[in-house]
Amino acid sequence: MDYLVAVLLPQLLHGLVFGAALGLLALGLTVIFGLLGVMNFAHGELYMLGAYAGIAVVGLTHSFWVAMILAPLSVAALGAVTEIVTLRPIYRREPLYGLILTFGLALVFREGARQIWGGDMRRILPPVTGSTPLLGMTYPNYRLFLLGASSVLLLLIWVFFTRTRAGVLVRAAVQDAEMLDGLGVNVPRLFTLTFAGSAALAALAGLLLAPVFTVYPQMGVEMILLAFIVVILGGMGSMGGSVVAALVIGIAQSLFALWMNPQRVAIAIFGIMIVVLIVRPRGFFGREGVLE
Amino acid sequence: MSRVVTWRALAAFGTLAALPALPGIPTYYLLLAFDALLFGAIAMSLDLLMGYTGLVSFGHAAFYGLGAYATAILMERGVLSLWACLGFSVLVVGAYALVVSYFATARRGIYFALLTLIFAEVVYTFFRYTQTFGGSDGIQGLPDAELWRGVPIDTPERKYYLVLAYLALAYATCRVVVTSHFGRVLVAIRENEDRARFLGYSVQRYKMAVCLISALLTGLAGAIYPIRSAFATPDLMGKVGKLGRLLGPRGLMPNPKTGTVTPGVGKAVTDIKGGKIEFRVDRHANLHFVIGKASFTDAALVENYAAAIDEILRLKPSAAKGRYLRKVALATTMGPSIPVDPGKTRGLTEEPQPN
Repeated sequence: MDYLVAVLLPQLLHGLVFGAALGLLALGLTVIFGLLGVMNFAHGELYMLGAYAGIAVVGLTHSFWVAMILAPLSVAALGAVTEIVTLRPIYRREPLYGLILTFGLALVFREGARQIWGGDMRRILPPVTGSTPLLGMTYPNYRLFLLGASSVLLLLIWVFFTRTRAGVLVRAAVQDAEMLDGLGVNVPRLFTLTFAGSAALAALAGLLLAPVFTVYPQMGVEMILLAFIVVILGGMGSMGGSVVAALVIGIAQSLFALWMNPQRVAIAIFGIMIVVLIVRPRGFFGREGVLE
Repeated sequence: MSRVVTWRALAAFGTLAALPALPGIPTYYLLLAFDALLFGAIAMSLDLLMGYTGLVSFGHAAFYGLGAYATAILMERGVLSLWACLGFSVLVVGAYALVVSYFATARRGIYFALLTLIFAEVVYTFFRYTQTFGGSDGIQGLPDAELWRGVPIDTPERKYYLVLAYLALAYATCRVVVTSHFGRVLVAIRENEDRARFLGYSVQRYKMAVCLISALLTGLAGAIYPIRSAFATPDLMGKVGKLGRLLGPRGLMPNPKTGTVTPGVGKAVTDIKGGKIEFRVDRHANLHFVIGKASFTDAALVENYAAAIDEILRLKPSAAKGRYLRKVALATTMGPSIPVDPGKTRGLTEEPQPN
């Protein structure tokens, strides 16, 4: 019982918190993939830039809450410009070009961040301090806030895709962008806005996780690999699947860390992916043959 | 001339073979040419996959790194025969590539790029955190390999010809592959995978085969790499852009470990002029550094000592538990060392107060 409350339960919650934030990242990745057919290798760097933009805004205004608005907006603007300048000209080419392009963009963003902010590790102080007694243990308030914020965001995204006209348009574009174009919708603008939105989500995830983890130019690389695994597990192009898979991976990661060297957890997570690929190659919710 | 070997290729290889005979060519350029040829071979093997079959691999760094580690691990344990090292590398890389290529080609489209990348990252993590294989330092200070007993590959010329021979082998392999029926099928798969399948070709088997060939060629390049520079580190994987790092251990070149190979040259120079010192940790968790020179005044030395200790304590990772600094000792170059009380850092620079 003691073991349950003192060790297992906090770790389970940690996993849930991390999984929810990972879900924000993976969701953006999935939508972009469904829409443009491009797996965005620079997504992890947008996540990293969100954290750095947050540090910059906090440095200027001394308010985490202002940063929560300004940082995603600035990264979204960067995402929109990137999309218009680099991705738009190659839509009609093979997806191969998009892959290599975003891989290059990732390098540019990462090294750019290193040039501007240096390679040192940085931290943001959590805006919410203290801890709350919860189910017989005490849990940091900031992590509870993180869980709440991510859940609300995921809910809002769900509402956006099911209840608003813009969300329905995005889903329609995933299904058949050409037909949508024929119906008179400005598809290039839709693509740009979606890309910007997914960049903002990644940036927000980066900023929200920054007080828990450290901020450094390479922080995106680890996350993007996890996000890729999440997308593969959830089923390519399935939004609900990515959220479920993100929670599974988040919890698995923090539970594995209990029993094995934390540095080896990445290998165990990878083991899960291999098993799922053998047992169910299309992932949890993927349909056979979709987006191949 | 046959379709496989062209006059142009023969002329190119002839020129390359004559390169070391040029009068007055510096050793440095020979070693640079070594890198160029090696990476040329890797680019060719990657082109088999990306150019001819249309599969984007982000995981070739792992084949390269595994090959390098296989060689380095054998050489570190006293096996100096080139052929044993290469053979072992082929086995290791081949086994790994078989698994990767199976999973990566099982589904179509984006999976190949993603899975090769994720597999490569796992290999990187494994070597990065496995102390048996040197952890993040990698395996360094290897002896020269032997072509056969008593013939070490020690001079830059011999190393150059080794890599040239490898390049010729890789080129010939790629030529044979792309001019054969097998190569035509690969192009067909790139152009229209469904049609190739309907024509009765087992697409996955072809993809796996070309993936295996490409992986083995890259792995062999990796296996040859430690022979050139005598060390393998986890950073070999993925960071092909940072070649400066690899030029160090012979003492021929500025070394990134001391910060003299850096993108910010101006900053490095001002830092060193301003008295920047480098910390070094040895295998037994001792920290070594220089706090001054004989020409410094006593006060300056004490001040440097205090600043260094403060800095070490400031850099202490928050996860470190217990006493961080256990013992401190001071020594002159080649002189005996004197233990110092590590607890005293503050107020060292003030004059002792007469009481």
